Parts: sequence; structure tokens; C-alpha cells
Amino acid sequence: MPDGTSGSRLAPIQLLNQAISLAHAGQSETARDLMREVADRLPDWDEPPLRLAGSLGGSPEAAAAWRAALAINPNRDQTLLGFAAVLMAAGQPREAIGPLLRCCGLTPNQHDAWRALGQAYLDSDQPRHALGAFARAQAIRPNSFALIHSLVLAAIASGQAEREASRQIALSVRDPLNPIPHLIHGLILDRLGLLDPAIDAIEAAVALAPDAREPIALLGGVLARTARARPAEAALRDALLLDPENPQLLNDRAAVLMRLHRHAEARNLLREVAHRNGPHSSVLCNLANATCCLGAQDEAVELARAAIALDPCAVLPRRSLANTMPYQDHVNGVALLKAARDCAALLPRGDLPPIEKPDRSGQKLTIGLLSGTLRTHPVGWLTVAGFEHLDQDQFDIVCLSRAPEQNDPISRRFHRIARAWENVSALDDDALARRARALGIDILIDFGGHGDAARMAACARRLAPVQIKWVGMQNHSTGLPEMDWFLTDRWETPSGLESLYSERLLRLTDGYVCYSPPAHAPDVAPLPMLHNEFVTFGCFNNIAKITPRAIAAWCHILHAVPRSRLILKTHQFGDPPTVQRFQTHFTGHGIDASRVEMRGSSPHRAFLASYHEIDIVLDPFPYSGGLTTCEALWMGVPTVTLPGEIFASRHSASHLSNAGYPDWVARDLDDYIGLAIRKAADPNGLARLRAGMRAQTRASPLCDAPRFGQSLARALRHAWDAT
Amino acid sequence: MATQIHTVDAGALMARVALLIDQGRPNAARPLLSAVRGLTPPSSALSELAARLALSDGMLEDTERDLDAAIAADPDHAGLRKCRAELRRRAGDLENATRDAAEAVIADRTDIQAKALLGVLLHDIGRPADAAACLREAVAAAPADPAYREALARALAQQGGPDTALATLQDGIAIVPAAASLRNAAILLCIQHRDFTQAEGIGEQARLAGAADAATFGLRGHALSSLGRHADAALAYADALKLAPADPYVRHLAAAAGIAASAARAPEDYVRALFDGYAVRFDQHLISLGYRIPGLIRRHADAFAHAAPIGPVLDLGCGTGMLAVALSDLPIGPFTGIDLSPAMLAEAEAKGLYADLRQADLPAALSDEVDPTTWRLIVAADLMCYFGALEDMLASVHARLTPAGRFIFSVEALLPDHDGALPGNGDWSLGRMGRYAHTAGYITAAAASHGFTLIALNHEALRHEAGGPVAGLIVVLERPLTDA
Repeated sequence: MPDGTSGSRLAPIQLLNQAISLAHAGQSETARDLMREVADRLPDWDEPPLRLAGSLGGSPEAAAAWRAALAINPNRDQTLLGFAAVLMAAGQPREAIGPLLRCCGLTPNQHDAWRALGQAYLDSDQPRHALGAFARAQAIRPNSFALIHSLVLAAIASGQAEREASRQIALSVRDPLNPIPHLIHGLILDRLGLLDPAIDAIEAAVALAPDAREPIALLGGVLARTARARPAEAALRDALLLDPENPQLLNDRAAVLMRLHRHAEARNLLREVAHRNGPHSSVLCNLANATCCLGAQDEAVELARAAIALDPCAVLPRRSLANTMPYQDHVNGVALLKAARDCAALLPRGDLPPIEKPDRSGQKLTIGLLSGTLRTHPVGWLTVAGFEHLDQDQFDIVCLSRAPEQNDPISRRFHRIARAWENVSALDDDALARRARALGIDILIDFGGHGDAARMAACARRLAPVQIKWVGMQNHSTGLPEMDWFLTDRWETPSGLESLYSERLLRLTDGYVCYSPPAHAPDVAPLPMLHNEFVTFGCFNNIAKITPRAIAAWCHILHAVPRSRLILKTHQFGDPPTVQRFQTHFTGHGIDASRVEMRGSSPHRAFLASYHEIDIVLDPFPYSGGLTTCEALWMGVPTVTLPGEIFASRHSASHLSNAGYPDWVARDLDDYIGLAIRKAADPNGLARLRAGMRAQTRASPLCDAPRFGQSLARALRHAWDAT
Repeated sequence: MATQIHTVDAGALMARVALLIDQGRPNAARPLLSAVRGLTPPSSALSELAARLALSDGMLEDTERDLDAAIAADPDHAGLRKCRAELRRRAGDLENATRDAAEAVIADRTDIQAKALLGVLLHDIGRPADAAACLREAVAAAPADPAYREALARALAQQGGPDTALATLQDGIAIVPAAASLRNAAILLCIQHRDFTQAEGIGEQARLAGAADAATFGLRGHALSSLGRHADAALAYADALKLAPADPYVRHLAAAAGIAASAARAPEDYVRALFDGYAVRFDQHLISLGYRIPGLIRRHADAFAHAAPIGPVLDLGCGTGMLAVALSDLPIGPFTGIDLSPAMLAEAEAKGLYADLRQADLPAALSDEVDPTTWRLIVAADLMCYFGALEDMLASVHARLTPAGRFIFSVEALLPDHDGALPGNGDWSLGRMGRYAHTAGYITAAAASHGFTLIALNHEALRHEAGGPVAGLIVVLERPLTDA
């Protein structure tokens, strides 16, 4: 006890004030001693035990102290709220309900009491009561942002979402300048998977509260989950102006920047977050992704491993590793399968019952397409024509996707052939699995793999008695025991590679995809070498695929073919520092900077027209071109490719063989270099090949949709019968 | 209750509402409009925004009344007048819509949109010269606006100036090369005037320029089919189908080219669009094509008229009224015509030979519920080629014939391919020109199964097309005195 403070000499009220001052000054123990002394002297006064309980915070004795205060005065709202808060913090929400109900009864206009009661109900699985309490809290303080998320959770959990959304609309009509009802309405719609109306509502809140942090941050978050990356980025940038150090906003903005192919900016942002807040596994995962997309594959894999070390039981870092490894030089199938298995093993299975396989002999099979990318996207370009030609008398198609995009032609094509279209974006994995089972899906085809929009955790719970992995982050085996089959072909997975896959291999008769060339593709132009008098090699693949080993091989070829040039074209080369970094890779191999041109992105038609300048495509390795190789074929340009062991390394080999150009597939690295040099030395042969390439590709199984549809039908029926 | 927790500028909110309406996002605009109402007193600008919002999402209830009140208070407000003109146009009140548009022009002579709207409305009420004058001003003021040019081209074409119309569109294409709609309007204009070579050329330029959409590919395919270049047409249709997989017009054309499953009849919109476009010059085309159907039908109607008095005649798919012209000197009539295309019906009306003309879909218009009248003679020239399966049509016609009444119609004959097999399902097939053809055996069997007696089934050359005769059948069926 400090000098001059003798409890007994002062009046109790003075003593208590002194205790409160000491508590504020950080002398908690002394303060509490004084409080106890006052309590002993005036046992009927509830203020000292209340102060004592408040000063105990979350310590184990706090609950007893609150009880003591309540024993003296059971009708004091402050005490009831404090006691409930301690119970809630101790994980006893059910016990908190009684005091809170009493508190609300005593002070019915107290926002905090109703809000706490709502939270107590919500935490004790009584969402309907929670919603009622939150509604009272909202009525008392209609402009508070504090309860919006809890209220939305209660509305969803209680099955009252639509009703609550209507109530919020009614509130907004009565109170048109208040952003809160719009915000809550928007968040409910978002949870229901109705993204466009959700954005409309949240935008209204932003317009009504332009200087508030919450609406703009929420708008950015919702937009980030749509295809509208540009407005999402703008909203997140605005949100960061109001809340510049918010790590969640920074992380979200980095993720959106990556979708806009602004990987260098994203990487800088993520490094800043990691530096400022210390390493966090989800930030490191995004950083690994950005780093891989900038062509630093080894560093990316190390970042993913670091994320695993930080959080060894989390799925995200494992996914990050499984998704960066296929890009790394010298990757092998065994290691990649292990990474995929490690990731798949961590996925929660839930407690759904085993799924029965019904007898469908002589009946149609229902095929479920699970994908967020049934639109203009490699998944769409490489699969839609095949499904359009699947016999409708034998198969029904059900799309489990996000809402169809009316302005996207491929989305419209899927929509036309689908018997049903389920917007599953708002469903969690368990709900998705239940929904798919309720729809009676016989064969589920997954197009997400372990990618960003992956639903592997739902597949792990089983959506259908037969599950197949096809295009879409199909870089190698999923490693998921519940994935029964892996759709492939004899070039992608020649006999002998079966042990590198956890799934059974389902080989189609021809290639494993059917390319649907775009109507807007320009015509094939004459071979540029004929008028240039030098050879132009090209590679229009994502630079994540361009490894040091591929660069070394390309430099070897450039050295061997005098005056030849190389044009690289992809999004990331819109960033000058990335261009400079890559230039140094080439100059390091003695290639003059003037011989290698790096170009950024362009609209798709102009992108395709750039093949007018290319004589021969050099495929990257180990991760080969997929859709890019098909597009080059369509534009009359052949690709020299070097298939390896993993699935992602063999796409070009499959497409070229399927289109009738197996002589462009190299056996080994020396053969790859030799093949490029030999082909470049035959301008007349190349010119003839180019002139006929579109017609040959169109007529080949690669683009023969009716033939593909039949092959796919046989494979699906076989998968059904043999599972 | 008004909870304004942040400073909101009413002007900024109004600008945001206008932007959202322009972006086609009425649901995002609506709550902000109510917020503006809470911030500012009523004004003409606010009424205009409300009307524009209602027009953009079709929720027109009360809008006319509100606009009437707003215009009564501020009669010289161009924006309000334009909104009411658009509203009245949608309600089919073209005269008053035109009046409002004219008032909007008077109120603000610099308002190009008002001039264009007036031009479109003048065109709608059949004053193409005045329409063209207005639209010329709009185009001169906004030369890069495709919609104004397309409207001007339509007005010029209606005035009988297809070359000037095409030049207007071509000038627009030079100014806005990416505007597919201008290119499509130009192709359609050429097709309507049967200049398939030029139509195909414009379509190809659009494709090479990367300014082709689904309609461009579809129309180019149509032109290619008409030129007999069926393989090229099929590729064009396939591309059209990739871009607009569910569009009934594109699907119909693609089915005609044999690359998509065909429906049992041509889509109503397709038939209407095609013939609305053709209407003005239809007769000339038919005659220049050696179109013999009206004459062939006349022969059978004449024989029937000699046997017994006929009286009123129902002309199904009457088009521009060619059949009534061909039958007009026979002791039969009056004529009632049914067609899907308003433009065709307008041409038929101009001939002054029909007592009654109805715009309706067939065979729905023949049901008892629509009109239980029965007829002694029902004719259908060049109608059945827009139907694959004829059963519904035959059943409906049977119900509308008096006992001993006759149905005289033409069909295109389905002939075996070069390998001897019958295309389609063996009874009927959709041909490359988008029309269905039928076998004589199918017609005979279908007629018998619907209780008709076959009076005649003559093989005839219906017309010449792509350098050769088009084989057809002229069929006369009779409903027996007593049904079996």
C-alpha cells in the first residue's frame, strides 16, 4: 500500500475512488485490496464488488466476483452485462442468456444488452432467438455497423434469410439514407450466393456512407469473389485509403491483383504485409502463388514449404505446395503425387453416410459438372464442345457452378445443354455434397482440382458414387482417395505411368480434350520467315511455366539458328521490372537483348493475331502449354515440345499427336533442341505445314466434337460400370 | 425516420443514379433514388430520373400518371417529354408519343436524342421522309452513334432508297469499325434486296475486321446459303452457334445447314423477322423468281368454284396478299388473311382485297377458342414450308372446314439425296435455306389419318432458285360430308 493511504482513515466512497484511480494507474493488486476492504466495510453496497469483478477481467476469479455483486443487487444492468461477458468469454453462452434476458428486461433500450443476448443465443445454437435479439438491437441503434455480421449469421443459420432480407428492405424504405439495412441486405444476398444483387445493395450502402470503412471494404471483398476483378481492385484500393494497414484488405487486394495478372505489385504488397505483421501462412501462400507466376518457381516452392512449417495441419499451404511444384524444374511424379496426397489427407470428410450406387442399367446417367469456370476459360474452351455432343438420350447434364454469365458465350453454351444449373457458390462443402446427392448425380466431374476455386473438400465427402477428375488444375493426380478416375489419353499417360496416380486412369480413344476454336480467331497468315529472312520462335505461355532450364534450352537454340528471334508474350510482361529481370536471364546466356522481345497481354483476337509473327512455338517445360498449344495449332503454328513424367508436362504432346503432328514431340532435351533447329532450317516445309494446319486441326479428333462426344460417352459408361 | 450518418451530396447521388440506369442496373439505382428523395424536394430532374428508372426495368405502373403531373407542372422539360414519348411508344400510342418527341425537340433544339427519337417515331407512323430528315440531323450531330444511323438507314430504305441506306451504314462502318450492329444492318439490307454477293462480302469484311457477332455469322451464312455455298454457310452457322447457342434464329439456320438438331417448326420470331424485312419487295421477288404457287392454287380453286358456290375464303399465311391477287377474278370471297408479320399484313391491306386481316400465329389461330368460324375453302401458299411436322396444322384446318370444304396448299417436295437416302426423318426435313420439305407419302398418310379425302396431289416446279427449279407439291384435301 502506498504511503499515506490507509484504508481505515478514509470514507468508503473516497476509498473506492482511490482504488479506481490506482486501477487506472496500473496498480491492480493494490486497487483490488482496497476494493475488498470497502466491500467488507459496506457489505450491502454492490459498487465495490462490481468494481472488483470488472478489474479481474477474464481471470478465473472474475465469475465469482460478478456473482457476489449480483447477490447484493440482482437488478443492476452493468453487473448483469459484465457477468454475461465473462461467461461468454469462458465458453458458456447458454449460462449467459439468463443474466442477459434479465438485463434486457430491466433496460429494454440498451443496444449492447440486446446485441450481447443475440450473440449468446447465436453461440448456443439458437439462431432464431438470436435474430430477434439482433433485430431489437438494430432498432435501438439503427446506424451501428457493429452487429451486421452477427445478424447476417443468425439470419442464415435460422433459415430466415429471405425474410430478414425483406425486413431490411422495408427498413431501408422507411429510412432511405441509412446505409445499414442495405449493407445487411447485401451480405445476406451474398451468403445466399446471389452475388449481383448483393453487390447492388452493398454499393448503395457505399454511396450513402462514402467515408465509412466497412461498406467499401465489404464491397471489395464481395467483388473479389466475382469475375469483376477490376472494380474489386478499385474498391479494395478505396477501402485501404480509409484503413491503410488492414492486413485482410491488403491480402485481398494482392489476391485480386494476381487475378488481374499484376503479380509483381501483388508480390510487393504481400511482402509488405509479411514484413509488417510477421509471416502468416495464408499470406505466404498468396506470396508463393505470386512468386511462381513471376517465374521464380524454386522460391515459390520454398515459400509454400515455409507456410506448411507455420501451419502444418492447414490445407491451404499444402495446396500451395501441390500447385507450385508442377512448375519447378526436375519435378517428378512420385514427389508430386505425395504432395497431392498430403494435401488430400488433410481435407475434412464430414459425417455424411456412404453413398449408394444405384442400378442404372438401361437408364440415363446424370453427369454433374463441378466448376466455377464453365465459361470463357481453358476449362470451357476444352470441354464444352464435347458435352454438346454427348448423347442426350443417355446422359443428363447438371452444372454445379456459380451463376451462369449471360454475356459469356461459353457459359451460354453450357447453360443451353444443362438440364439443371445449380448455383453452388454459397454452399459450404458439406452443403454442396448434400445438394449434389439430393440431385441424384451419378457421375461427378471435377474441374477445380486443388486450385483457387477448388471444391476438393466437397469431393472428399463424395458428391456422387463415381467421381472423375478432368480439365481445370489437372496438373497431376489429385491424390484424393475418393476421386475414382482420372480422364486422360494414351499420350498424356502412356502405359507404365499408372503408379503415379491415385486415381484409375480413364483413357479416351483420342485426345483427352476437345478444342472449340473461337469464332473471332483471325485467319492464318503466311509463314513470317519467308519475308523476314530470319526465324521467329515464340512462346505465349504464362511465365510461371518458363523455368531456368527452358531458358537455357531456348538460348541454345537461338545460338544455333543465326539471326533468329524469340517473342515471349503473356500478361506478366506488361510489368517493366519483370521484363528486365527476364532479359538478364537471356543475356546471362550470351543472347543479345535485341533478339528476345517480351510483350504484355492483349485482347484475345489480337493475342491470336500475334501468331502471324511466329514461325515455331517453343513449348516451356516441365509444365507444357495446354490451351495455348491448341490455339497455336489453330493459328497455323506448330509447337516443339518436351514431355516429361507428370501430367502437366504432356499436354502439348497430347494435342500435337491428336492433331496429327507427333513428329514435333521430342524424346529428350537434346532432341528438343535438335528438333527446333532442324524444323527451323526447312522454310518450305514449314510454309506448307502452316498453310494446311487449320484445316487438318479442324478435321482432326482434337476439334471433332461429334467423335469426341461418342468417346466421352463410352468412357463415362465404362467408369460407371467399372466402379 | 431518416438516419443520415454520413455526409451525402444529393447531386452526387443523382449523378450516380443516372449512371446506374445507363449501365442497366436499375436495382442498384432504385434505393439511391429513394435516398435522393429524402434529401431534396421534388423536381423535374427527379421525376425524369424516376421515369427513366421505370423505363429501364419495365416497372411502369404509375409512371404515366407521375409523368403527366410532372409535365403539367413543367411542360417545356425535354427530358420529361422524351420519357413520356418512350412510354407511349411502348404502349403503342404512336401518335401521342410522336407529339411528345416533337415537343421535346421544340423545348431543346440541341437535344440530339430527342431528334432521333422523333425520327424513329415518324418512321413508325409511316412518315419516312420526315423521319429521315430528323435522323439525318441526329446522325450529323453524332456520326459515331450506330443506333441513329441504323434508324436513318431504315427510314431511307422504306423511302425506296436502298443504295442511300447502304451508303449511310457503310459511312458508319468506316467511322466505327467495331460496331457489329451497323455491319449486320448493312448485311440484312443487302439480303432483303437479294444482293447476296454484297451481303456475303460485308459479312466477310466484318469477320476479318474482328467485328462479327452471332448475328453477323448467321446472316453471312444465310447469304452464303442463298449463293449455293453450303459448306461455307455451315461453317458460318457453326460460328454463330458458338456465340449464341440458344438463339432460335441462329439455331434454325444452323439446323437448316445440318449442323444442329432441328425443331419441328421454324421459330416464330425468325419467320416474323424474315418476312417483316422482305415485305415491301416480296411480290416482285416472287414474280422475278418465277413463283408459280398462286397460279397453281388458282387452277384448283377455279375448278372447285365451278362445282359449287364457295363464299368466304380463309388465306393462311397470306403474306403480302399475292394469293388474293391471283384469285381476285374468281367468283369467290370475301377473303380473310392470317399472317405473323405485321409488315406483310400492311402490304396485304394495301391491296384492298381482304375483308379482314389478322396478325396471329398458326395453327393456334385456328383453335375453337380463338374463332369457331368454318370455311368452305382454306388456302395456304408457301406456308407449310415453315412447319416440319404437319399433324397439328392438318388437325386444326380440318376443324375449320365445313363438310365438303377444301384445303388447297403447297409444300416443297423432299427428294432423296444423291446417295438415294431421304434426309431428315424420311417424312420431312429442314433444308439449307431454312425451309422444310415433305414427302408425298407423308402428306398422303397424314391427310388420311386426319380424316381428309385426297382430291389431288400434283408434282410441280414451284419456282427457280440458285439456278434450278424447286420441286413441290400442290395438294387438295377435302373434309368428307360426314367424318369417319
